[in-house]
This record gives sequence, structure tokens and C-alpha cells, in this order.
Amino acid sequence: MAEPPKLRVLMVSDFFFPNFGGVENHIYYLSQCLLKLGHKVVVMTHAYGNRSGVRYMTGGLKVYYVPWRPFVMQTTFPTVYGTLPIVRTILRREKITVVHGHQAFSTLCHEALMHARTMGYKVVFTDHSLYGFADVGSIHMNKVLQFSLADIDQAICVSHTSKENTVLRSGLSPAKVFMIPNAVDTAMFKPASVRPSTDVITIVVISRLVYRKGADLLVEVIPKVCRLYPNVRFVVGGDGPKHVRLEEMREKHSLQDRVEMLGAVPHSRVRSVLITGHVFLNSSLTEAFCIAILEAASCGLLTVSTRVGGVPEVLPDDMVVLAEPDPDDMVRAIEKAISILPSINPEEMHNRMKKLYSWQDVAKRTEIVYDRALKCSNRNLLERLSRYLSCGAWAGKLFCMVMIVDYLLWRLLQLLQPDEDIEEAPDIFLHHHGEKIN
Amino acid sequence: MDNNFAGDSNPRPKWRKVAYGGMQIGYDDNYTDESFLEEMVMNANVVRRDLLKVMKDSVSISQYLCIVALVVLVWVHTLESSLDENSLLLLDLSLLASGFLILLLTEEKMLSLSLLLRYLLNISFFTTGLYILAPIYQTLTRSISSDSIWAVTVSLLLLHLFLHDYSGSTIKAPGALKHPNLTSCISLNASVVASVFVASRLPSRLHVFAVMLFSLQVFLFAPLVTYCIKKFSFGLHLLFSFALMGLTLYSVYALHKLFFLVFLFLVLLVNVVCPYWLIKMQEYKFEINGPWDEAKLCFDITD
Repeated sequence: MAEPPKLRVLMVSDFFFPNFGGVENHIYYLSQCLLKLGHKVVVMTHAYGNRSGVRYMTGGLKVYYVPWRPFVMQTTFPTVYGTLPIVRTILRREKITVVHGHQAFSTLCHEALMHARTMGYKVVFTDHSLYGFADVGSIHMNKVLQFSLADIDQAICVSHTSKENTVLRSGLSPAKVFMIPNAVDTAMFKPASVRPSTDVITIVVISRLVYRKGADLLVEVIPKVCRLYPNVRFVVGGDGPKHVRLEEMREKHSLQDRVEMLGAVPHSRVRSVLITGHVFLNSSLTEAFCIAILEAASCGLLTVSTRVGGVPEVLPDDMVVLAEPDPDDMVRAIEKAISILPSINPEEMHNRMKKLYSWQDVAKRTEIVYDRALKCSNRNLLERLSRYLSCGAWAGKLFCMVMIVDYLLWRLLQLLQPDEDIEEAPDIFLHHHGEKIN
Repeated sequence: MDNNFAGDSNPRPKWRKVAYGGMQIGYDDNYTDESFLEEMVMNANVVRRDLLKVMKDSVSISQYLCIVALVVLVWVHTLESSLDENSLLLLDLSLLASGFLILLLTEEKMLSLSLLLRYLLNISFFTTGLYILAPIYQTLTRSISSDSIWAVTVSLLLLHLFLHDYSGSTIKAPGALKHPNLTSCISLNASVVASVFVASRLPSRLHVFAVMLFSLQVFLFAPLVTYCIKKFSFGLHLLFSFALMGLTLYSVYALHKLFFLVFLFLVLLVNVVCPYWLIKMQEYKFEINGPWDEAKLCFDITD
């Protein structure tokens, strides 16, 4: 009836639903599309509050909420070897063939990748963010990344700029890094059936109000634009520490009727906020790939964004107006956007977005990466240790020690609980899996 | 891993650095173009240093080391009772007077009489307060053993030297723009506490007052005085530093030969070895900048 799945993938990350964000969305949609292609996907993440244990999501997506508490910013406490038993059990139970880790900031991901390599599974890693090189946090993070990626089979980055950044940080060969972008659910983000009137131009901003997302630029830009264009109003969705500065700006320039602050907008309501606007403003100071821009373009909004990171690669030039992260340049970009607004057709933009980005395309390209990873040769412990030694004079030897101890612990676990004793979970197929998609 | 379709009937289109539109025809997803890492800039902000300049700058550090060494010498002599309280008081007064003189001479703007009177008033309040509180300091550590006191004092002085702000002055000089940062405040407090501990070991109230006044004068105002001298004339600063070094070396030699050798070694290390080492290490500097960097805001955020 249903043929056995071709690939059996374990997605590992600290960031998954019920948390909302780019990485979580990416894992969910990618898993759903891979399930539709006939593969088996299991997700592993840490427990969120009371949500611990095994849950099933749409399409038969099995999620393991491993009972480890998050410690800072939704990442689990790094115990290096603590996750070895549970990872081993999950990998054996689900008969996994490929382990796919997400996000460099996730300690669970690094640990799972390390254990998977020790046990001989093929690993793939996707990096979703850009990092610097100069501050203390980045230096440590890059070293950890170098360790994780020293022995990886394939890596994926979400934009070309992100690929350059990852290659520099980890010392990987560029041929091993694939560029597969994120995508957007165009079925959910449809433009309004009736376009809002252009008598009053509405500029929508939806982002977390933090320094990194350029909230300070907003504080400078909004009064300038409101002064130049009396028929422009702003809608600001999102919350964060810089909320206070925006409120002060509203008070100082008496813009209470022209700047509407919505507070935190749940993801399900993002579309309803977007369709009230004509222009989407993104002022982030750094972005590997900005999904918010895709959502806005899918809803038929013209985007104005800062030229940082991977943003110039995301949309074609006629759908986005780029500016330097400088208030005057951003005002000029908004002026240009307002002038080309009459020629924008939201429906046409939405239809173009359907062709430019789709999760099915992302899943197919990821499948190619998995196949490539599975073709990589198996290496024994000694060959792998030589890869770790090249990480640095002191670090290389430390990493080798870590891997040797991991290997010994694995062998001990095999002694205490042999592989055959771990019960294999039956594959549950929902009825549409066996159907061929024409 | 790029397939070369040389001589193929339809040549593949040019590769574009874009993320939209799915997989680019004729190119794998892991295709690495020649423009890879084209926009990377290396060592853009690195300052090339000159050995002589670094050595001249390191004179400030060794000058301060000499000042601290002189303070410790005065403490040692007072504790051994080779320096009595009257000569110590005389030393205090002469230091105060010379410090004021140097400030007056090196200040670019004229110090008005009212400002001077205000300074004198502050100094007298300070001195009176110190004299009144001297008995408290005298009995402060009576129940603590001497060994603990010496150990704590030495570690506090080391902390003070480690965290000290050698480029400026914690007490804001008139016209200085830099605010004191956390580490310089910590170092100042460490030195003050060390001087309190040493003063508490002395026999009489006048001793305690004299030593406290001396230590506080030096730790609080010596950076300010040296900063003013440096600002006024670099040649004078160098001359002053060498004179201090000579005085310190002579005094330490008179005290103990081994300490003299250690101190000489330290001064040579700071002035000669460390600048050379710093310049040698600069060739390992590798600063990477590129389009992935977080953008810097060109305006100040005023809250």
C-alpha cells in the first residue's frame, strides 16, 4: 500500500513550535513538504513549559519534546554528553538515516550532531544567521561551529552572503555548502481582495523592537517622513525594549494619530495587519535572509529595506527599494517607493512570488543535499579525529579528546543497552502518503 | 563541482547572486562563483605601530609603577619606624604644595582666585575629616593578624595596578572629556583600601593620619598631576619619568638588593620587551569585514 520512506530525517533544533520565529517556521514547512514527498521526518527539540514528550503535528510529523529545560534564550543547557542516551534512543527507534541540525546558536543541535557523527549517521547542518568575528561571544560561537562542522557531510545556508559568512567562520570548503533559501507560504499570505485606498499611504512595520532590528532607525525615520508627507501613516507591530523610545518619539512629535502602535502581533494575525498597508518597511541592521520581506511581498506590499546581509538577494529589484542604514537614505528610499506605488499591482506581485519561492522547491533541493550526504563515505574514528586536529593548536586536541570520550560513552551505552533492545517505532502513514503527486 | 558545458548547444545563463527563482539552471546549489568572497575586506582598521612610539608610550606605565613603588617604600620605612611622623607630615605638605604648583603652571586656562580658594577649602575639609577619623583607622584591624594584612594589601595593590587607567586620570582633570570607567574606579578603591589596611598597623594617631594623607594624596592626585604634565609637554613628561625611575631605583637599592633586581627587571620588561612583543604579534592580526557585518549606526542614540 504505502512504500517505505526513501529518507528518514531527524530535524534537531532548540527552536520549534510553540516558539515563533524564522527557524521554527523553516523546520515546520520543510518537514511538511518532505513528508508530502514521501520521506519520514521526525523533529527533536527541548520541552516548552509543560509540553514534554512525544506530540504529533499535521501530516504525521512526530515531534520529540525532550525533557531538558531551556536555560538562556530558549537554548538548552550545554552538558556535552548528557543528551547522548536520548539521541541514541531516538535515532535507533525511528531508524533515522540523516540528521539535520538547525541554527548555530542551538546547543541541542550541536550536541545531537556530535553524537550522530559518533554513531556513524550522516549529518547536515543549516545555518540561519550571520555572525561577526570581533566580539567575545562571536569568537566562542565560531569555535563551537568549527568543531561542529569539522566532520559534517553537507551544510546549507539560506543566502549567498550567509554562505560566505559560514565558510569564513567555520573553515569549511565552499563546495560542501549549499545555498537553499527560505520560502514563504503564499497560500496563507494573499493580498487583500480590495486594495486599500492610496489617498492615505500606510507604511507597515512588523518586527521585534530591538537594537538589532533597527528600531533606532525607525525612531529617526518616522518623524522625517511624517513631516514630508502629510498623507502617510505608519502602523508598527511588534514589541520589545525599544518600544519606549518609539512611544517617546510619538509624544515628542505629536504623531499619535499618524503612528499606530499595535504591540505584539501573533503570527496568525500578521497577514491581516499587512493587508492594511501599501509599503512594508524593514530597518534591520543585520539579516541573513529576511522572511518578513517575503511575507510582505506575497501580500502585495512594496518593500523598503536596509541593504544589509542577504537582503539584496531576496527580492527582484522591482519589488524592493534598498537603502543604506542611514536615516536620510531611508527617507529617500521611502520617497521613491511612494512615487512608484501607483504602478504596483498586488495580485501580480503575489502571483510572481508564487513562482519565485515555494517550500516544495526548497524541499526538493534539500532532498538533493540529503542524497549527496548519504553518498559520502563512512569514516572510522581515527580518520575523523584527524579532521578535528586541524581546528587549532590547542582546540584541535581538546576536540579530539571530546570526541574520544563521546565514542567511549557510546560503546558503554551499547554494552548497557544493546542496539537490538531498543524498540523500533512503527511508521505511521497518513492516507495521502502513498498517492503519487502528478 | 560545476559542469562545464563547453561546446554545448545552449550555453547556460550567467550565474546571479540571487536567492529567488529556485535552482539556477545549469548550476548546482553548491556552485561557488569567482565572485565568492569578493567583498571581503581584510585588516581595514588595523593601525600600524612604530616601535619607538610604543616605547615612549610605555614610559607612562613604568612611571606609574615607580610612583606605586615609592609609596610602598614610604610605607615600609614608616612601619620600620625609620621615618618618623613629623618628617612624614613635612613630606605630605611638600607634595601637596608641589602638586598645586605643577597644576597651576601646566593649566592652559588661568585658574581664577575663587577656584583656587575653593580647591583649598576642599583640601582643608578633606584633611580635617581624615584627622578626625584617624583613630578609627588605627584600631580597625587590631584583631586581624599581620600576615593577612600584608597578603590582602599586596593583592589589592596588584589589582590596582592591573585595572588602573594608564592613559588618563580617574579624578577628572579640568577639561578632560573621558568619563572614568568601571575598572578605573575599582582600581582606585583598591588602592585606597590597601592604604587603610597599612595605616591601621601603625602605633600612633599622628602616624596613621600622616600615612593616610600621604597615600591618598598620591593615589588620588598623582594620575591627575602626571596627566597634566604629559598634556603640557611630552619632553617634560619623559624627563620627569626618568627622574622618578632613577629615584625609585636608588631607594629600592638602598633597601634590598633582590627587590632592586626584580624592579629593574620589571621596568625593562615594561619598557623594552613588551613593546617589541606587541609589534611582533601585530603580524598575526586578521580582521575580517564584509557585507555580513552588522551595520553601524551613524548617529548617537540619545535616551
